Amino acid sequence: MGILEATRIQKNYGNKFNKQEVLRGVDLSIEEGEFVGIMGSSGSGKTTLLNVLSSIDRASGGTILIQNNEITNMKENQLAEFRKNHLGFVFQDYNLLDTLTVKENILLPLSIKKVPKKEADRKFEEVASQLGIMELQNKYPSEISGGQKQRTSAARAFIHEPSIIFADEPTGALDSKSASDLLNKLSSLNANRKATIVMVTHDPAAASYCSRVIFIKDGQIYTQLNKGQQERQAFFKDIMSTQGVLSGVQNEH
Amino acid sequence: MSINSLILRNLKKNLRNYYLYVFALIFSSGLYFAFVTLRYDKAMDPVEGSIKGGAAISTASILLLFIVAVFLLYANTIFIKQRSKEIGLFQLIGMTKNKIFRLLSAENAILYFGSLIIGVALGFAGSKLLIMILFKVTGVEGIASLSFSSRALLQTLIVFLCIYALIMLMNILFIKRQTILSLFHVKSKTEMTARKLSVFQVIIGVFGIALIAVGYVVSGKLFDGDFSSMIELFGAMFFILFCVILGTYLFYKGSVAFLVSLIRKQKGGYLNIKQVLSLSSIMFRMKSNAMLLTIITTVSALAIGLLSLSYITFYSAEDTAYNYTGGEDFSLLTESDADTFRQAMDDNNIAFTEDKAEVYTVQLNIDDILQTELELNFNASMMDTAVISEKAAGVDVAPDELKLTGYNELLQRFMSLKDEGDVTVHGKETETALHYTGLEDEYPISNYYTMGGLPTMIVDDALFQELKQDINPDLNQGYHWYFGYTIDDDAQLQRANDLFNGLDLEARDNSESRIDILEDQKSTIGLTLFIVGFLGLTFLITSGCILYFKQMDEAESEKPNYTILRKLGFTTTDLRRGIQRKQLFNFGIPLIIGLLHSYFAVQSGWFLFGSVMLTPMIVVMVIYTLLYSIFGILSVVHYNKVIKQSL
Ligand SMILES: Nc1ncnc2c1ncn2[C@@H]1O[C@H](COP(=O)(O)OP(=O)(O)O)[C@@H](O)[C@H]1O
Ligand SMILES: [Mg+2]
Repeated sequence: MGILEATRIQKNYGNKFNKQEVLRGVDLSIEEGEFVGIMGSSGSGKTTLLNVLSSIDRASGGTILIQNNEITNMKENQLAEFRKNHLGFVFQDYNLLDTLTVKENILLPLSIKKVPKKEADRKFEEVASQLGIMELQNKYPSEISGGQKQRTSAARAFIHEPSIIFADEPTGALDSKSASDLLNKLSSLNANRKATIVMVTHDPAAASYCSRVIFIKDGQIYTQLNKGQQERQAFFKDIMSTQGVLSGVQNEH
Repeated sequence: MSINSLILRNLKKNLRNYYLYVFALIFSSGLYFAFVTLRYDKAMDPVEGSIKGGAAISTASILLLFIVAVFLLYANTIFIKQRSKEIGLFQLIGMTKNKIFRLLSAENAILYFGSLIIGVALGFAGSKLLIMILFKVTGVEGIASLSFSSRALLQTLIVFLCIYALIMLMNILFIKRQTILSLFHVKSKTEMTARKLSVFQVIIGVFGIALIAVGYVVSGKLFDGDFSSMIELFGAMFFILFCVILGTYLFYKGSVAFLVSLIRKQKGGYLNIKQVLSLSSIMFRMKSNAMLLTIITTVSALAIGLLSLSYITFYSAEDTAYNYTGGEDFSLLTESDADTFRQAMDDNNIAFTEDKAEVYTVQLNIDDILQTELELNFNASMMDTAVISEKAAGVDVAPDELKLTGYNELLQRFMSLKDEGDVTVHGKETETALHYTGLEDEYPISNYYTMGGLPTMIVDDALFQELKQDINPDLNQGYHWYFGYTIDDDAQLQRANDLFNGLDLEARDNSESRIDILEDQKSTIGLTLFIVGFLGLTFLITSGCILYFKQMDEAESEKPNYTILRKLGFTTTDLRRGIQRKQLFNFGIPLIIGLLHSYFAVQSGWFLFGSVMLTPMIVVMVIYTLLYSIFGILSVVHYNKVIKQSL
């Protein structure tokens, strides 16, 4: 039994007369400690899938179990409760509160859980030093770079040791140096903390850091690749070629 | 697409954005028109001419003009900000800035003058209502038939045309200054970028609080005798205004951020949701709105202060009237007048209670108990004072003691008395040394003897009899009896008053009827109170609306934050609590500062207006706070909607 089990997930937008099926029956199983990438062309429904999996958006059909909790029929407040205990998020546009300092932003998830201040400080030091943002703690988001913002966002996702971390194009707004920096940190956190990460990306280089990459197309899983024992470079080539096939097929339409 | 159809399309599409703007317009034009109509109405002529009303009304209309202009300009800022994206889009598709400006102006003109017409119509209806209230309050006889005044209409039109021109000017500047890119960003970019507090800001913050404190301290000393000449007095008032207003500005500019940052520092980076939503947001936003908040605070303080002072006057009228008659409904001065009065009451079956006192005037040396630094042009060792016996006053005074009672608040300010001390009573021949033991509040005898609020002395009955034998005839040429009557049944008071006014009395001119005095006072104060009330309400509503609009705008720009917080697992209930806290600050801080300002303003000079401060001031403050809270509650309701939509 994986940490996340999703069966036949559907998601439609619009109304009865003008229905857009974005997800049409996605089955997905993620094991604890995995670093899973989700790829697909723009508009293929990656963000939608991530939002549905992470309880931010409701599925139109299908069931999702996270650590054996069925989240598909939870009430709004139960979902919030669930998110605060089990999930962490990293987004493309950082989603930091710009009126809070780096430290205050990172400590938010602990503040929801009313963790004692001492313990909060300890956890902060641990995660902030791992991500190299210790010196930034009293700065405001407007005073730091994009890469630093994204690391702050990652620290916030990791600090309360959630079961799963969802990341939507975390490197999308970063230059390649900051991007690889962040991805290195993410994979080391994945390794050290046994943190499960689900990351949406359209960048093959970013995807090559994952242990498994799932491709979606037309609202369904098209195929998936396992890294196995390969080097990252080799895995990157695999991803590139699969992506080529994916867009090649698309061109035939 | 022709420019005309573009305008219409826009109008339709943006109707929801417009409603605030339209509301602001209708409200302010209605108000303004109502005010000018009243001003030019014939029915107002007697009141306007009779009292200093003329000056009051002109001042009021200038103030009204100012606040209306600020209000409309602010509404327009929000309005154009909401539409910045659209303007950017027009530019992107190749419209020139000139053309966009024409488009906006035309569209704005439709809205503006449409609302103006509605406003004027509503204002006219409103002014009828107002004039009815006015006559109710002042009791001035007059027909509440108001005619449509073309002069009022003309003035309203001219004023609003000028404001329209200002708005257009503002829009030109807005469009000229913006590039396509920045127009797209205006909305998403919050009004601030959070940065660490600079030393400069800390200095500003501390300085702001210090300035306000200095202003308050000086205001407390205003009439204490430190400023004796008129020039010094005006200088001090100007200084206070300057300190307090600048201090308020700096307070918003720096002190709020400074204080909040102290709290935050103490939390060591660990904030709960309430603090996240309230502290962090006001810390930066108040700073960028310092000017607006200063205006709102000053306007509120002005409104509360003026309302309090006029209500103090109005409220004290009752007191003053009682003090005039010695605490009764009627006061008479001779035995035969008293007979006539009692007879008239008995004939008409009106039950009453009588209270009488024999009154003589003696000279009193109060040098020893006087406590003032002012140079007074009277002789404190020979002060004419009315004396009555302890029996008539219904209190007990020891043979070697003396009590004073019924000393006017205003006089007390300039000639305050110590708590106790030795005084000497001068009769015609003898001098009696007595010990003064304190001041009482009651006014036992009528104004005829107390001459506008000088204290009456109460002595032991035996001493009173002695003094009576030795009075100075020069000082006691008039009456020496006081008869006070209180009608037992309030319902009969009016009839008793009519009878009283019909009586043929020896001392007609010096016999008083409390309700006549009250009536007289109320009609004088009523108009002032009415104008001030009208202005106060306007100030209240406009400043409430401005804050509310600002909060709607802020809610929009903070929506992404709510999304983030909800994703992190905060529930809508958590967020709502945080927002309630935030609004408590957003509305509470300007209110509290406004209340404080007006409190200090009122307490520095209230005694010039009446005899009771606390009750009327508290009544005004509580009502103001309640009405003002409505806007806070409305904004919370609005936030709740935004929070709900945010995920
Ligand atoms: N809130 C929404 N309402 C309607 N359609 C939406 C909404 N969100 C996404 N879509 C549609 O769903 C499709 C997938 O979007 P998305 O999941 O954002 O794609 P991706 O992240 O892969 O680029 C798109 O065609 C988009 O138009
Ligand atoms: Mg996406």
